[in-house]
Amino acid sequence: MPREPSKLDSLLADARVWKLKDASAGHSSSRPVWSTGQSALDARLPGGGWPTASLIEVLLEAPGLGEVQLFLPALVQSQRAEGETPWLVWISPPHEPFAPALAQYGIDLDRLLVVRPGTATEALWAAEQAMSSGVCAVVLLWLKGSRWLSLRRLKLAAEAGGTLGVLFRPERHRFESSPATLRLLLARGDEYPRLDIIKVQGGRPGPVELESAPPIARSPGECRHLELT
Amino acid sequence: MRSRLKKSATTDLFAAAQAPAARHPTRPSAAAVSPPPPPQQEASRSRSRHLWYAVVFPALGNPENTSRILERLCLYAQRFTPWVSIDQPNALLLEIRGSVKLFGSLETLHADIDAVWSGLKLRAQSSTAPSTLAALWLARAGEKALIEDPGLLAGRLAKLPVACTAWDRSRLSTLRTMGVNRIGELMRLPRAGIARRFGPASVLDLDIALSRQSGPRRAFVARERFRERCDFETEVETVAYVQKALEPLLERCAQFLCERQTGVQALQLKLKHRTEPVTRVRLGLASVTGDLARLTDVCMQKLPRLELAAPILSMELLSGRLEPLSADSLDVFACLGGADGRDTAPQLVERLRARLGEQAVYGICPVPEHRPEAAWQRVRALHHAPRPGRRAHRKADGQEMPRPVWLLSEPARLQDVDVERLHRSPSMLEEGPERIESGWWDGKDVARDYYVVRQAGGARLWIFQERRSKCWYVHGVFA
Repeated sequence: MPREPSKLDSLLADARVWKLKDASAGHSSSRPVWSTGQSALDARLPGGGWPTASLIEVLLEAPGLGEVQLFLPALVQSQRAEGETPWLVWISPPHEPFAPALAQYGIDLDRLLVVRPGTATEALWAAEQAMSSGVCAVVLLWLKGSRWLSLRRLKLAAEAGGTLGVLFRPERHRFESSPATLRLLLARGDEYPRLDIIKVQGGRPGPVELESAPPIARSPGECRHLELT
Repeated sequence: MRSRLKKSATTDLFAAAQAPAARHPTRPSAAAVSPPPPPQQEASRSRSRHLWYAVVFPALGNPENTSRILERLCLYAQRFTPWVSIDQPNALLLEIRGSVKLFGSLETLHADIDAVWSGLKLRAQSSTAPSTLAALWLARAGEKALIEDPGLLAGRLAKLPVACTAWDRSRLSTLRTMGVNRIGELMRLPRAGIARRFGPASVLDLDIALSRQSGPRRAFVARERFRERCDFETEVETVAYVQKALEPLLERCAQFLCERQTGVQALQLKLKHRTEPVTRVRLGLASVTGDLARLTDVCMQKLPRLELAAPILSMELLSGRLEPLSADSLDVFACLGGADGRDTAPQLVERLRARLGEQAVYGICPVPEHRPEAAWQRVRALHHAPRPGRRAHRKADGQEMPRPVWLLSEPARLQDVDVERLHRSPSMLEEGPERIESGWWDGKDVARDYYVVRQAGGARLWIFQERRSKCWYVHGVFA
């Protein structure tokens, strides 16, 4: 007896209906998840870390709030993972990445590429090329603003290339719709920066308590507080 | 004397190894190894093994730009013999014994070669002799000599002025003060005396000139390039058509490289217009390659953004210098990456560079240097092959002071208000001071105390106090 398409099937076929199971199933698959270096944040993310093969958007109230620090553990891990293609691409960073700091952290600088495109369109193009090429583990992209459609292209490219794409944008884009898998807001706090999860597929949004970790991994007891004369 | 003979045998071996060729018509390779016969026997024969045609171009003087001209002249000379050698700064040597029979006689051959230079409107002085230096000296002296018999060499050379040896100025001036003006007078001096006063090289030169010893020379090997032209039937105005027409050229270029097991790192495309100057498009590749897909990729990225100044009549594809494919350019893992339709790392770099420009894509590396602004540099050439040794990196060992992720291109002066706040609440200082005092030797002297400071909102900055002016600056951001 031929089965009639049930109401549930037609409902699920509707593109506006988003299935939670599929979203979380994507993360629990064999793809590695890279730790954020912050256990509180890891616990809040599905899979326990940054999801690979996806686009993450970080909205910044001001630059310099430790946004790159969040991804440094992932950069190091991705380069050490077996069977991964370990290129890292930084597209239009606001300042020069300081090579000694990255080397100090353990990043293989032979596999790091800095790209400085002239325009935002070229930056998006370069990011799409890098993400979909399949040779990059992580692509970091700094943008002032962009349209939904181009972000959608980035997301598809990241998924196709198996790349972790990270997009840094100013905080004013917070209320715009975004196709990113994960959206974070990094804002000034009282003493330490404040991190909010705005959108997470397969998880719960909300503020995250960041540990006050020192900026660079180092042995404890090294800090010296000195009085200014 | 014994030691000199031994030496000549080794130099002759060297000559045999350098001769491009066993293809050379007159040079039985076995004979080349044997030491030269004693001069008395040689003189008794009327034919020597080699015959050298030397040509001197007095108009070419400046060695910087003449080497390219001489290389082009070598290509002309290779019509007559496969063995041509350049004698800096302005002469060529051709070994023509094997070509004499083909061209009829020595006289016709000599005249034929001379006709090439006069056809090029070049002033040339030429001579033929059984030894390299004798031919060269005769040519420099401006004597048009055709000597086949080594026995006649001593007599002809004796009349030449000493200056045509082109020895260095001090040797020639000493000879002049000694009253030696002709080579004949020089040959009459005792050998040991010449060797002591002017060095053994002078005696060796005389021996080579008199065909007593062989003087090995490096043969000129023509550089190979791919070069192919495509003429259009009508003038072409759209780049799309150029792209289409370029495909077969690129295919043949890749085939050319494949046959030679070489690759290129640069291609050049010349577009010729009716009146406007030629448009040159330089196509750079991230690594040496002969792969058609990569060559095509670079062209297709570069061409669509080309603005044509005028319609194109014809185009020409030229390869850069051919370079052997190394293990570095044949990256096994890169090939695997490319197999399933994905790109390789060099391909990605090429594509980005083709569209964004060569300067827009670079790597960075640390430099062992204390001053932060000099502690890093941009790297243009990227290492594509994995280098396992380099993966061992310096993990922060606890002894080092932290370094910020961003370094400002110029240190930014702190406002007085901020400095005031810094003095009021020292707890903002998280680390420091780290004194960096260096660079007095190159004029960029710095004396700074670096601190890590946390701003009110949570941002961490790397600031320093200039020790001389006591001013505060921001130099980095712990982003």
